[in-house]
Amino acid sequence: MSPHTKLLTSLSLTLGTTITISSTHWLMAWAGPELNTLAIIPYTSKSHHPRSIEAAIKYFLVQATASTLLLFSSMTNAWATGQWDITQLTHPTSSLLLTVAIAMKLGLVPFHFWFPEVMQGSPLITAMLLSTMMKFPPTILLLMTSHSLNPTLLTILAVASVTIGGWMGLNQTQLRKILAFSSIAHLGWLAAVIIYSPKLALLIFYLYTLMTITVFLTLNSTKALKLPTLMTSWTKNLSLNAILMLTLLSLAGLPPLTGFLPKWLTIQELTKQEMAATATALAILSLLGLFFYLRLAYYSTITLPPNSTNHMKHWHFTKPTNTTTAILATLSMLTLPLSPLILAIT
Amino acid sequence: MSLLHLSFYSSFILSCLGLAFHRTHLISALLCLESMMLAMFIALTILPIEAQTPSTTLTPVFMLAFSACEAGTGLAMLVASTRTHGSDHLHNLNLLQY
Repeated sequence: MSPHTKLLTSLSLTLGTTITISSTHWLMAWAGPELNTLAIIPYTSKSHHPRSIEAAIKYFLVQATASTLLLFSSMTNAWATGQWDITQLTHPTSSLLLTVAIAMKLGLVPFHFWFPEVMQGSPLITAMLLSTMMKFPPTILLLMTSHSLNPTLLTILAVASVTIGGWMGLNQTQLRKILAFSSIAHLGWLAAVIIYSPKLALLIFYLYTLMTITVFLTLNSTKALKLPTLMTSWTKNLSLNAILMLTLLSLAGLPPLTGFLPKWLTIQELTKQEMAATATALAILSLLGLFFYLRLAYYSTITLPPNSTNHMKHWHFTKPTNTTTAILATLSMLTLPLSPLILAIT
Repeated sequence: MSLLHLSFYSSFILSCLGLAFHRTHLISALLCLESMMLAMFIALTILPIEAQTPSTTLTPVFMLAFSACEAGTGLAMLVASTRTHGSDHLHNLNLLQY
C-alpha cells in the first residue's frame, strides 16, 4: 500500500476509535464504528487475493448491519424517552437491540459466524487489529451502557460464547481461526461480568489484548499461519518459541501466568453476585480452550527433534526479536504478582 | 404506537430481514442495507418535527453522509468480488471455510 493510503487509513482508525470512546451522544457513538469499518477494509483486502476480498465483504456487511442496528436502537430510545445521551439508554427494547448490535460487532455467540472466516482471510497484522483494536469501541459502548443492559441475555451470550469458542476451536488447524475462537471465548468472559463490575471487564479486555498482540507478533516474526508451519518455527527463533508456549498457556488462563488474573477476578465477582453456577460453567467450559492452546504449545515447543526437522538451524539467519514483542511477552506472562497494584489502580 | 412509528419500524425490520435472508446476489444485500439507511433517514427527519427539538435537525444529513460513504464502499466491494470471483453470487464466497 502506498504511504498516503497507509497514513489515511491508520489515522482514520485512530480517529474512529477516539470518537467512539469519548462520545456522549449516540450519533458520535455510531459514527466512530462506521469510520473504523471503512478504514479497515483497505487493510483487509490489501493483497487482492480472492480470500482477502471475501473476508472484506463479509466484514463489511456484518459491521454495517450492526452499526445500523445500533443507530436504530438509539432512535427507538430517542422516540420513547427523548434522550440521546449514551448513559441514559433506559427503554428496554433499545437496550435489547443495543446488546444484539454490539454482540454482532464483537462476535459473541449467535452472531459469531463471520469472525473466524474474516480472520482467516486477513493478513496477520490486520487480524491482530481486527481482534484487538476493532473490539475496543464496542466494548466501551457496552461499558458506558452497562447499567441498563439485560443480565439474563448477557449471561446467555457469555456462556454460549465460551462454549462455542472452546468447542469449535478444537477442530481447527489454521492459526488465525484458532485465535478467532480464542477471542470469542475471552469476550464471553468479558460479557459475563460487564454488568456487575465494568472496571473488571475493562481489565479483562486490556489483558486479553496484551496476550493476543503478543501471540500475533510472535506468529508474525516467523510467518506461521498453520500448525505444520508452527512445528518448524523453533529453528527460526528459539527463545521466542519457548516464550510462545508460555504466552499461549497464559491465554489459556493457567495460574502462575497473567491470563489467570481475569478469570480469577471474574469468578470471584460472579460468586459475590450469587452466580456461582455461571462461574462454574464458565470455568469448566474454558477447559476446551485449554486443550487447543496446549496443542499449539505442544506442537510449537514441547515436541522435540528428530520429530520435526532434520537440522538445528534454519538456513536463513535469524533476525533478532522485535523489542515490542519482547516487552509485551514479558508483560503477558509475569504480571500476576502485580495484581494488587493493578486492582488498586483500575 | 402511532401509525408513523409502526410504518418506520416495519420498513426497517423488513429491510433488515431482506439483508439477513439474501440468497443470490451481493447487490440485493447492499440494496437492503441502503433501504435500512433510508428508513433511518426518514425517521431522523421526522424526529425534530415530532419531538419539537429543532436542534437535532442536522442529524439526518450527518447520517446520510456516513451512509453514502458506506454505500460507496459496498459498491467497491461488489466490483472487487466481480474481479476476483467472477460474479457477485453469494454462494461463490465459500473459499474461507478451509
